[in-house]
Amino acid sequence: MSGLYRPSSYWTGWLLLGLGFGLLLWFIVAWWDQSEPASSAQKLLIGLGFLGVVWGIARVAQQFVDTPNPVIGFTPAALTLLALVVTAEALLRAYQVPAGLIPTPSRVLSTLLEVRDVLLQDAFQTVVLEALVGYLIGCSLGLITALLVSRYVFLERGLLPYATIFSSIPIVALAPVLVKMIGIDWPSKAVIVAVTVFFPMVVNTFRGLTEVSPLSLDLMRSYAAGEVQQYRWLRLPNALPFIFNALKLGTTLAMIGAIVGEFFGANGQGLGFRIQIEAGRFGFDIVWSAIIVASLIGIAWYNLVAWLERRLTGWHVSFR
Amino acid sequence: MMRISPSLVPMLVVALMVLALYWPLMYLANIPVAQRALDTGAALPCQTAFECATQLRSPVLPSPQQLWNGFGNLMFPLNSPNAIPINAAVTAFETVVGLLLAAAVGFFFAIGMVVSRAFERALLPWIVASQTVPIIAIAPMLVVLLGQYGVQGWLPKAIIAAYIAFFPITIGVAKGLKSPDPMALDLMKTYNASHWQTYLKLRFPASVPYLFTAFKVAMTAALIGAIVAEISTISFQGIGKMLAENSRASDVVAMWVIMLSSAVLGILLVALVNWLERLLTPWRRTGPVAAGPSRPAREGVRSA
Repeated sequence: MSGLYRPSSYWTGWLLLGLGFGLLLWFIVAWWDQSEPASSAQKLLIGLGFLGVVWGIARVAQQFVDTPNPVIGFTPAALTLLALVVTAEALLRAYQVPAGLIPTPSRVLSTLLEVRDVLLQDAFQTVVLEALVGYLIGCSLGLITALLVSRYVFLERGLLPYATIFSSIPIVALAPVLVKMIGIDWPSKAVIVAVTVFFPMVVNTFRGLTEVSPLSLDLMRSYAAGEVQQYRWLRLPNALPFIFNALKLGTTLAMIGAIVGEFFGANGQGLGFRIQIEAGRFGFDIVWSAIIVASLIGIAWYNLVAWLERRLTGWHVSFR
Repeated sequence: MMRISPSLVPMLVVALMVLALYWPLMYLANIPVAQRALDTGAALPCQTAFECATQLRSPVLPSPQQLWNGFGNLMFPLNSPNAIPINAAVTAFETVVGLLLAAAVGFFFAIGMVVSRAFERALLPWIVASQTVPIIAIAPMLVVLLGQYGVQGWLPKAIIAAYIAFFPITIGVAKGLKSPDPMALDLMKTYNASHWQTYLKLRFPASVPYLFTAFKVAMTAALIGAIVAEISTISFQGIGKMLAENSRASDVVAMWVIMLSSAVLGILLVALVNWLERLLTPWRRTGPVAAGPSRPAREGVRSA
C-alpha cells in the first residue's frame, strides 16, 4: 500500500498542506489585533484548515518513509510541530483565551526573547552546575559499581537486588530530604541527580558486562587472556551499547531531577525555581519560555550522547 | 517463593553492614549540628553533643529511634486524613488511573506506528522528544490550567501521571507488536488471515510480555508523576501533599518517614504488576529475554 509510488497523491498532499496552512495563517493575521471571539463560521474554517494540514501531512509523509538522510526524513515531524503550533495559535486567538491562562505561541516566543538573559542564567545553574555535575558523578560511580559487581559474585548477589528494588522507588520523594540535608544551593540538586542516574547505570552496565557470549569467553580463555584483558577487549566493548542506553536515559533523568529538586528550595536561580515561582503568579508565558529552554537543552544533550554513541558503537547490530 | 534464593545471605549481609554503618555515620553527621545548638544555648533535654545527636529537631540523619517514633506518629490512626495509609491509597489510585490512561494512549500510538510508517515518521521524533523534555516542569502549569476548566481533584494528577508513563508503554507495545517472527507472520498469510485477524491472534498475544515489562517501568514513572503533581498543586490528599507540607514545616523526621513509605508504595505497585504478569501470562515465568539494548529506542534516535 505505502510502497506504491503515486506521484499524484503526493501532489494533492502538498496542495492540502498548503491550503490548510494558508487558511490558518490567514486567520491568525486577520485576527492579530482583534479582541472578540471569532464567529462559529470562522472556527469552522480553522477546523477545516487543521484537517487539511493533518491530511496533507499524512499523504506527504509517505514520501519520506524510506529516506536514509536523517535531515530530510525529519520533514514530516517538523511539519507536525508547525501544524500544532499554528493551530494552537489560531484556536487561542479564535476563542480569545486570556494570556494569563494559555499564552499564544507567538507571545511565548516574544517573551522568550525578552527574558532570555535571566533564563540563560537559570539554565546555567540548573544544567551545568546541577544536572551536568550530578550526571557525571552519578554515571561514573554507577560504572565503577557495575564493574565491581560484575567481578565479585558476592556483590552481585548482595547489591544487585537492591539496585532493582531502588529502581521502583519514586526518586522525587528523596528530593526534599536531600535538599534539607545538604542545603538549598546547587550541590543538593547535584546529589539528587547523581542518585537518580546511578541505579539505571549500574543495572544496564552490569547487564552489558555479563551478557557476553560464552563462545567469546571461551576464546578469551584459550588465548590465556587475563582478567584485565578480558574486560578491556571483551566485556567493556560488549557493554558499550548498554552503557550508552543508560547515559541517554540519564540525560532525561538528570534534567528532571535538577528541576524537581529546585521545587523544594533554591537560592533564587534555576529553571525549576523559575517555573515554580511564575506558575504561582500566572506568568505562564515565562513558564513556557523556561520549558522551551529546558526542552531544547534536554534534546540537545540527548542527541549529543546519541551522536557519541554512533561514533563509538557504530559497529553494533542496531545501526546496520 | 518456596526455595531460598542464593542472594538471600549476601543481601542480608549487605543490609546488616549498611545498618551497622548507619550509627557511626549518624553521629558523625549530627554531632557538629548538636554542638552548634548547644553552643548557642538552645534549650535541649541533653548535656553533651553525643547525647543530643539522637534528639535533634532537624537532624542531618535521623536516629533509628526518631524514625521509629515518627513512623508511629504518621501511621496511626490508620483512618486519619493526616496519616500515611489514606494518603498513600489516594496516590496509588491516581497512579493506577494514570497508568490505565497511559496504556490507552500508548496502545493508540503503538498501533499507529506499526500500521503506518508515515505516522511513525511524523510523530516518533516528538514522542521521543517528549521524554527528553523535563516533563515535570509542565506539571504545575497543567494542573492550574485543568483547574480553570473545572477538572480538579485526582484527575489532573492522573493525567500528569499518564503523560509521564505513556512513553515506555508506547515503545514497549510497538516493540511487542513487531516481535512475532517472520515465519509466524508468513504462516498467518498462508492461512489467508486478514490484517485484523493477524493482530488479534498473533501480534497482540505476542506483545503481552513486552506490555508487562513496559508496565513495570511505567508504574514507577506514573507514581513519580502523581507525587510531583500533588506537590506542585493545591492538593488535600496524597503522599506529595504530605511531602510538601512537611518540607514547608521543616519536619525532617516526617520527611524521612514519608520518603521510606513512598519507597514501599513504589515497590508494592511494581509487585502488583509482577503478580498480574504471573497471573495472566502463566506460559512464561520470566519477562521477555532482553537481547541487546532496546531497539525501538535506538530507531527513534536515528529518525529523530
